[in-house]
Amino acid sequence: MRKRFYWLIRDLHLYLGLFSSPFVLLFAISVFFLVHAWLPKIGSETSNTRVVSSLPLPVNLQGLSGRPLIDALKATLEKADVHGEVGFIRHMVKEEKLTIPVTIPGRQTIVTITIASREATIVTRETGLADAMATLHRSPGEHAPAIRMNSFYMQAWRWLADTTAYLILFISLSGIYLWYILRAERRVGFVLLFAGALSFFGLAYALSH
Amino acid sequence: MRSATEPTAAANRPAASRLRVRLERWNRKLHYYAGLFLLFFMWLFAVTGLVLNHPTWSFAESWTKRKETNSERAITALGPELRGDLAQAREIMRQLRIEGEILWTTTRMNADQFDFQVRRPGHYYFIKADLALNRVTLRHSKVNLWGVMKVLHVFSGVQLDDPRQSRDWTLTTVWAYSMDAIAAGLIFMVLSSLYMWWELPQKRLLGAVILGLGSLICGLFCIGLRWLF
Repeated sequence: MRKRFYWLIRDLHLYLGLFSSPFVLLFAISVFFLVHAWLPKIGSETSNTRVVSSLPLPVNLQGLSGRPLIDALKATLEKADVHGEVGFIRHMVKEEKLTIPVTIPGRQTIVTITIASREATIVTRETGLADAMATLHRSPGEHAPAIRMNSFYMQAWRWLADTTAYLILFISLSGIYLWYILRAERRVGFVLLFAGALSFFGLAYALSH
Repeated sequence: MRSATEPTAAANRPAASRLRVRLERWNRKLHYYAGLFLLFFMWLFAVTGLVLNHPTWSFAESWTKRKETNSERAITALGPELRGDLAQAREIMRQLRIEGEILWTTTRMNADQFDFQVRRPGHYYFIKADLALNRVTLRHSKVNLWGVMKVLHVFSGVQLDDPRQSRDWTLTTVWAYSMDAIAAGLIFMVLSSLYMWWELPQKRLLGAVILGLGSLICGLFCIGLRWLF
């Protein structure tokens, strides 16, 4: 029974680890970009501008803000062939313009709509793989929860990012079990566990006190 | 139970070089040594990753539960040798006995009015200095353990989209390089696990399917979405 449990845990540790490994690599590699505010240019960065006219706009545009505004503008963005997660929309009342940032990992699009003429200038910037990884690492994030998760990709990514975190917790716990079974490695393991705990709590204490 | 609990391809082959056997043994040992050393760091980043992705989880709320203190303090006049915002901010912090990472949030409109923020995990300092009157208004917000943990997740002193920010506290630099080391450790653990899996021929096929599935989904988000849309 105990042996069967051991092999079950070992197989789960292996296979769940294999499934999560590309995600762990993504999060780990993008740490270097985020910690040093440095984005290596992987692939060419390009930018293009196009103009789309006769866009459908929501009738009650002036009265909308936040998430209802994003939802109301979905048909407009669809018509303009712009897809992705919509960020904070700026409504410039005097100029009668809307500026809508839309993100897909590795691509940033700024849609500027002139309300009177129903015309949009769309600037699309391909930002490359490193930026895509940094964007995914930070998504969906803690800011502006009321407007976030407005695209299918972001909803799916949050699920995957959560799954990765849960898998890391499971893999670390199962790893402790698998290590503890190996009597020969217990002593060194305890020393390293203690050293890691000391480093972690020491650093956390120094930073926060 | 022995360390190498499962017969591997190399162990079954009598011709396998001693070097390779040793590599396999050390790869396995280092995999769990690294895992044990990084355990608390991994738990911190996994748990806070979940909490940051779910800002509506009320049990982890920290900002609305903060404790604030306000005070007004006199400072000695800043000498002319203190040129630039950074030097002046450091001197004010020294006089107030505050340590942390300086954040630049406001543009200085009046030369005598100097506002800045200092942050470190668990503590937020909002400093308004009147350099003409040599007085400082200090607002100090202290957050709970969840707040400390969430800030540790993102505490690097720099921001990708704000080139003005740079690290100016030694402990921020120490923590930033610690995060690098943790990331490098995780990359090593992934690569060493791939090597261990590859050395188990009976698990290669199912493992390849699962790894392929994970890579496909991850690749879809990193690269594929741009092709699809």
